[in-house]
Amino acid sequence: MSHVEVAKPTDINIPASSLWSRLPVIGGGLGIAGIGATLAAGVGEHGQRAMFSYLWAFAAVLGIALAALGWLLIEHVVRSQWSAVFKRIGESMAASLPLFALLFLPIALLGMHALYPWTHETDEILEKKRWFLSNEFFFGRAVFYFFIWSLFGTLLYRFSVRQDTLGNDLAARDRISLGLRKFSAVGLFFWVLTLSFASIDWLMSLQPHWYSTIFGLYYFSASILAFYAFLTLVSMALKKAGVLQQAITIEHYHDLGKYLFGFTIFWAYIAFSQFMLIWYANIPEETEFFLVRLHGGWEYVSYALPVLHFFIPFFFLLSRHVKRNPKVLAIACWYTLFMHLVDIFWLVMPNAGGHGAHSHLSVSWTDITAIVGVTGIFLAVMGVFLSKNAVIGINDPRLSESLTHENY
Amino acid sequence: MATAMETALPNDPKIRGDIVLPDLPVGREELIRGNHSFHEITEIVCRVNEAPILATPKPFIFGIMLAGSVFAMFGGYIGYLYWEGPGIWGNNNPVGWAWDIVNFVFWVGIGHAGTLISAILYLFRQKWRTSINRYAEAMTIFAVLAASACVALHTGRIWMDYYLFPLPNQMGLWPNFRSPLEWDVFAVNTYLLVSLLFWFTGLVPDFATLRDRTTVTWRRLFYGSLAMGWRGSHRHWVTYEKAYQILAAFSAPLVLSVHTIVSFDFAVSQLPGWHTTIFPPYFVAGAIFSGFAMVQTLMLPARAWLGLKDIVTVKHIENMNKIILLTGSLVGYAYAMEFFVAAYSGNDYEGFTFLNRMGGPYWWAYWIMVSCNVITPQLFWFRKIRTSVAASFILSIFVNIGMWFERFVITVTSLHRDALVSSWEYFVPVTEVLFLLGTFGLFFFCFLLFVRFFPVIAMSEVKGVLPQANPHWEGYHKGEGHGHGTAEGAGGH
Amino acid sequence: MSTTKLWGYLARYENPAELYHACEKVRDEGYQRWDACTPFPVHGLERAMGMKPTILPWIVLVCGVTGSVGMLGFLIYAMNELSPYIVGGKPIFSLPAYVPIWYEMTVLSSCLAAFLGNWILNGLPRPHHPAFASKAFERVTDDKFFIMIEAKDKNFDTKYTRLLLESTGASLIEELED
Repeated sequence: MSHVEVAKPTDINIPASSLWSRLPVIGGGLGIAGIGATLAAGVGEHGQRAMFSYLWAFAAVLGIALAALGWLLIEHVVRSQWSAVFKRIGESMAASLPLFALLFLPIALLGMHALYPWTHETDEILEKKRWFLSNEFFFGRAVFYFFIWSLFGTLLYRFSVRQDTLGNDLAARDRISLGLRKFSAVGLFFWVLTLSFASIDWLMSLQPHWYSTIFGLYYFSASILAFYAFLTLVSMALKKAGVLQQAITIEHYHDLGKYLFGFTIFWAYIAFSQFMLIWYANIPEETEFFLVRLHGGWEYVSYALPVLHFFIPFFFLLSRHVKRNPKVLAIACWYTLFMHLVDIFWLVMPNAGGHGAHSHLSVSWTDITAIVGVTGIFLAVMGVFLSKNAVIGINDPRLSESLTHENY
Repeated sequence: MATAMETALPNDPKIRGDIVLPDLPVGREELIRGNHSFHEITEIVCRVNEAPILATPKPFIFGIMLAGSVFAMFGGYIGYLYWEGPGIWGNNNPVGWAWDIVNFVFWVGIGHAGTLISAILYLFRQKWRTSINRYAEAMTIFAVLAASACVALHTGRIWMDYYLFPLPNQMGLWPNFRSPLEWDVFAVNTYLLVSLLFWFTGLVPDFATLRDRTTVTWRRLFYGSLAMGWRGSHRHWVTYEKAYQILAAFSAPLVLSVHTIVSFDFAVSQLPGWHTTIFPPYFVAGAIFSGFAMVQTLMLPARAWLGLKDIVTVKHIENMNKIILLTGSLVGYAYAMEFFVAAYSGNDYEGFTFLNRMGGPYWWAYWIMVSCNVITPQLFWFRKIRTSVAASFILSIFVNIGMWFERFVITVTSLHRDALVSSWEYFVPVTEVLFLLGTFGLFFFCFLLFVRFFPVIAMSEVKGVLPQANPHWEGYHKGEGHGHGTAEGAGGH
Repeated sequence: MSTTKLWGYLARYENPAELYHACEKVRDEGYQRWDACTPFPVHGLERAMGMKPTILPWIVLVCGVTGSVGMLGFLIYAMNELSPYIVGGKPIFSLPAYVPIWYEMTVLSSCLAAFLGNWILNGLPRPHHPAFASKAFERVTDDKFFIMIEAKDKNFDTKYTRLLLESTGASLIEELED
């Protein structure tokens, strides 16, 4: 492929007049109000449900930021060219990861008893799991996860911003790109392990008897799917705010659409694998997971998920025309994000009735406040990172390839 | 920029493809080295097929005779199995499934790289696939044939194999479509058929090339009937490419589904060590891993012997090694996750199974598996090793060995310790080595025939990724076009 | 043998760029029954030739859906009506256990449709074509690029069409006989 130098975009800074530059204030306000209300309910008399709402919102939004980090690491390692225009947007999401350490505090300080039965219950099986499911080890691991995520998220953003300032110093520019590639290869190793174990700690251990080796992959597939939807929507919103008008083209949306489509299939594959094997083998200690999700109204969600989260988006995204029409693609992205919330809700909420008891499907006002709060504060922090610097890695050596990228 | 690098390369085609170029942060180095014209590509690839039968190189004749006699031995072995029954194997309670199924999973796993390279790399716009896809697809087909042989033989009573087909038997009873073994029949046969269609579709334009070049009647008839009257019409190319793209789009999930279904054979059971939810993606990663290793094992000698170094460069080798590294690490992740969850589950049987794998009677198999599949591929983190042809070859053989042992570990070590101590047994193979050897005979015999008579490189696709294939290539504005298109053309007729 | 009829003209080009521009000219002259032949798919040539997209995806969709629905129907019928036996404690109607075969047959029917549809739409296998008589045309699968204009085209004119092809820089022009 011939290498052609193209004009770099100039509309790369978020204008002060746009909603984006006020996002930190709006999002922060919503965040503090939402989280405050949820936690206020959480410490109240029937606080358990509110804590579950909070965990659900936390897990759903954290997944997006974590998937952003993984996506960046992968794109660096494989030297992906088409995606260079989106790099800074992903970096802003990943750079927000230290925020989640803060957001984890309510779970650690207020929610442990309400959320995790293994903290206070005991039986023969739980005794055997004590080596892993103990408060000390649990918190120790959490500290390690947040350390790794913050380190990689922050450094990827920092180095990328430094690359912006290098101007025509090509040697220094290329050094950063090569360095980031090696750094990302190491990061990928840690990212895969921390993501898997975090999902085991925070979600799988809600049902402490149950275990599934594919669970880490399930959380990954759900998160990366939501991430692609979110990335598409953010880039569309940025264009609306008047930046990157020429840089992001239909071709890029087409590719994002393909990934959205591909990961919709991947999610279904992982979800089906888990269900199929547990259903077929029919071992009581595993079927427990699906049993609680087939009672008390949850059965509707369980049956709806394959249809609403797989078949409908699958057939919707099948066509090339959908992927190449930003307005229609945006509908698919909103829909996917909503289904991601439902999916994580289905993962978390059936445990809210307490261990062993079957909970009933219900939506509480704290669900709304929790998701608004966590999303708001995430958007606020992400907005700060986005508006602090250019919204595109202007000096990325792969940018010009990305700008002229075309699907064939 | 790429051409500046080209000028730095030596003129000798024997070493040009082995030179490691600096790793650039931007741009891609040229896929095909040596600034070849379209005609030169045709010459390089067709030379192997067009040598007269009597002029076949001696080492090649020796190779095909060796593979042929092993294949013939396999035929004798099948007769022996037919006569004596599966008692000629070491299978007995509790190890009722052993090498028969190990060989099957081994071969069907190897059969996954071909379609993966063709389909998934195609969908991901990885143009480097064009240099290796034909070879890998052929490997797929013969590996799946070997796998089919294993699965047909593992039933023991070979003459009853038609019970597997979706036909009612003499009692009017249909096969149980809810059984994973029945799923296997559909999965493997679909895979074989679709891979064949995909392979053949890709071959047609290249058969036409051979047809148009030859002067020998039998070749003209042979390649002519395979080429089906292909004349390179662009109206055909458009439909053809669409068909190819659709086949790729269906093959990619097909690859995943086939090994997923193979993993179901084990994972839908309740046996600790077999039943674990990560099996589907873990098997798929393992299959891709072993498939790429086998492509390396076959490709590295071939590119030297057949003079293909300009087309299959060290860059291609490096890329394949990266995929081996990635999938090897994924397999390592699955091992670790299985092990961790066995410990986490608090289930004594799960815990015992995994400790028994590491330290039980078959500890050696487990450690061969871990060292070949997880530890040695990590050497590919170093670019020096990744780009060394010799190291790639050795490590690819390690992976092949390791992946065979993985299936052995899964199948045999999970079975040999039953729930009751009185049912414990140490499995020892009897004549199975001949079984495994025989499948290799089948595989290599078919493969060598393929190399001799079919174009091993997808010529039309390789031509399509040359820079001058783009009608808007900047070289045409500079008047370089004639040199490229016609350098050899004038002398051709 | 002596009563040969002109089938059309064959023009040879040396590289994709020349072919591309020649195709644009032929397209703009309003020819319908003509073709470009190349050793590999030249990307974007369909635009230069003014071609319509292929209908193959629709064929595949129809066949895939038919195969898929048909197989699922068969599985349900076979397991519930033809051989309704409980094996391994699985319910007679157990949709999850039908999925693998259902899926494989969906893929198979779609792939067969894509494969056969490709050859049928292209009118292949076709043992003979007037262009195969040309010695020069043997290089079409190697490194040469050709345009064929059929005499049946309503714009075809023995003199004018030849002039047109000459003006596009063809390195060789031949008459093809039917």
